[in-house]
Amino acid sequence: MNPLAKRKGVLFSLLILILFATIVISVMIGTTGPLLGAGGEPQMGMNEFFSALLGGDSETYRTIIREVRLPRVLLAGLVGCGLALSGCTMQAIFRNPLADPYLLGISSGGAAGAALSMFTGLKGYEGVTLPLFAFLGGLGAVFLVYILTWTTCRGRIKMEILLLAGVAVGSFFGAVTSFLMYAAGMQFRYLWFWLLGGFTSTSWDKVILAYIPIMIGCVCICIFARELNALLLGEEHAMYLGVNVNTLKRVLICIVSLITGVCVAFSGIIGFVGLIIPHAVRLLLGPDHRVLLPASCIVGGSFLIWADVIARSALASGGVEVPVGIITALFGAPFFLYILIRRRRW
Amino acid sequence: MRTGVKWMKEQAKNDRLKHDESRSGLNLVMVCCIILLIGSVSFSAGYLFGAGQNNPQRCAGMTVIDDLGRNVTLNKIPERFVSLASSVTEVLFAVGLGGRVVGVDDFSDYPQEAKNITKVGSFNLNYELIVSLKPDLIVGADITSRQQISELESRGFAVMILAPKTIHGILQDIRLIGLVSGNAEKAMNLANSLSARIDAVLLKTSNASLSRPRTYLEYYPYWTFGPGSFGDDLIRMAGGSNIAMNATISYPMVNDEWVIQSDPEVIIYTVGSGTSTTNETIKARPGWSQITAVKENRIYSIDDNIVARPGPRMVDALESLAKIIHPELFR
Repeated sequence: MNPLAKRKGVLFSLLILILFATIVISVMIGTTGPLLGAGGEPQMGMNEFFSALLGGDSETYRTIIREVRLPRVLLAGLVGCGLALSGCTMQAIFRNPLADPYLLGISSGGAAGAALSMFTGLKGYEGVTLPLFAFLGGLGAVFLVYILTWTTCRGRIKMEILLLAGVAVGSFFGAVTSFLMYAAGMQFRYLWFWLLGGFTSTSWDKVILAYIPIMIGCVCICIFARELNALLLGEEHAMYLGVNVNTLKRVLICIVSLITGVCVAFSGIIGFVGLIIPHAVRLLLGPDHRVLLPASCIVGGSFLIWADVIARSALASGGVEVPVGIITALFGAPFFLYILIRRRRW
Repeated sequence: MRTGVKWMKEQAKNDRLKHDESRSGLNLVMVCCIILLIGSVSFSAGYLFGAGQNNPQRCAGMTVIDDLGRNVTLNKIPERFVSLASSVTEVLFAVGLGGRVVGVDDFSDYPQEAKNITKVGSFNLNYELIVSLKPDLIVGADITSRQQISELESRGFAVMILAPKTIHGILQDIRLIGLVSGNAEKAMNLANSLSARIDAVLLKTSNASLSRPRTYLEYYPYWTFGPGSFGDDLIRMAGGSNIAMNATISYPMVNDEWVIQSDPEVIIYTVGSGTSTTNETIKARPGWSQITAVKENRIYSIDDNIVARPGPRMVDALESLAKIIHPELFR
């Protein structure tokens, strides 16, 4: 094994370690302690925390740790993982550093679906209506983009056309959302905050529902790591290397849309993660997708867990929750710029 | 009549005061208050003597101070009102001006008659329509932006903003509307009866030995009332202790853990156009089964409009909340 590969191996194991440490530490953080407690009664200590985690006798602590914090941390991790991986895949198949999971209109379609759900008579973001509508809206937008491209290019998937159709459909659904929000009147404020993204109320049901498609999708994408590497050389070269480029793009777009749709349904539109995390990982570990894809998953998950920790504890002494979409950009952008300056290469 | 005379004397006194103050260029706020007082006193006095309504000359150039501290000058008693907020519409109707309201904002839905009045917009106002309605006075609220105010004023309209900060501020605004509209008597009576109802609740709930149940009042899932909001005021007056009274902002979004930690003894959620919350969705939230209010099944709902709109119906909200929080006091 050459020293460079060894170094990458060490870095990769370090990232896995960081993810586990992130999960453990973030579960310890919250208004009731033991870490960064916001004061107020009751406050748990370290001993109480571990006994609660293992099913100790304080029912309140046990509930807070096992039914409130743990699912929330896990969902944040899952969504971060899904978004970062989707972003990485999109950047590879579009060979465009600005590509992100929302490129094909999932975010605006999802937002339009969410806005539409306010007119179904089943309002508010409790229950299944809003996530379901957001999911269907997101997938509907991608489907529309895909069909448009497919008919325009007579069965081939041309990336320029896909990109343009994505932008056009995205703007269209953006306008639909704006109109629906305007018509919804006073309720638009809450919808707006929902769109900014967050994990305010996360139950185990949501985690399980999100876990299955995101995990299956991530594994599927990682299987195509070699083909994505080939694609980096350009579509023609990839074809010479025996990659069925058209099918590959089709399959990957389907999987990415599914993952992103689930993320949007459960957490709103969290920007930045899908765009920047793959770049940050690429700067650290290089462009080989066999490493890049799983590493993006891990870093994306850890990053969003920490962003959510900040979202729920930054103003926690006042009992205030900040939408996580604000945090990801606010703290993520300077962090990324720091890496960029440190590495001085692109 | 006696009070009327007393008011006249007061007016004369204030008049003198006003001159002294403004000449010496003292505290601007003081001057404003005095102008307001003069405005109201002269107006109500005029009304009581039966002269104000018939003789617009008498109150020519009347200036009052609105809730933003702006001077609002009226050349005559306004006949045509446009309301820019649902709370304002409720105040205007309660003071008996319903027939003189020619335009309302998009959200005005109470009382029933308000729904049939021309809608002039909300976040975006239809200025052309407003001009065509020829209002004598446009009454806005805190949702009316500075830009909208200057836009309307530049077209020569008198704009008055009612943005009360407390429940007593609402009574002040009712009186103010009564005074400028010439319906002072009805407004005073309304304000007095509302005030009496508030006092009746306070009389029961301000007992020092009374228990103050921890109360969580949400107006949208996970959105609650922090310090400086009407909801916070209402809970305190109703004899409860708002779990979000020390929140960083007035209308915070909260999360499961914080609510569980705060352990409310009473949970109240609003029902109306905005939410689909039910007792069942509250109980089903992650970990909420641990909350005292859920264990003891003290979960209640309240109409969202009466809690959110600073109008006369907020007193209904106060009474409802007091009965929810302290059922033992209202048997």
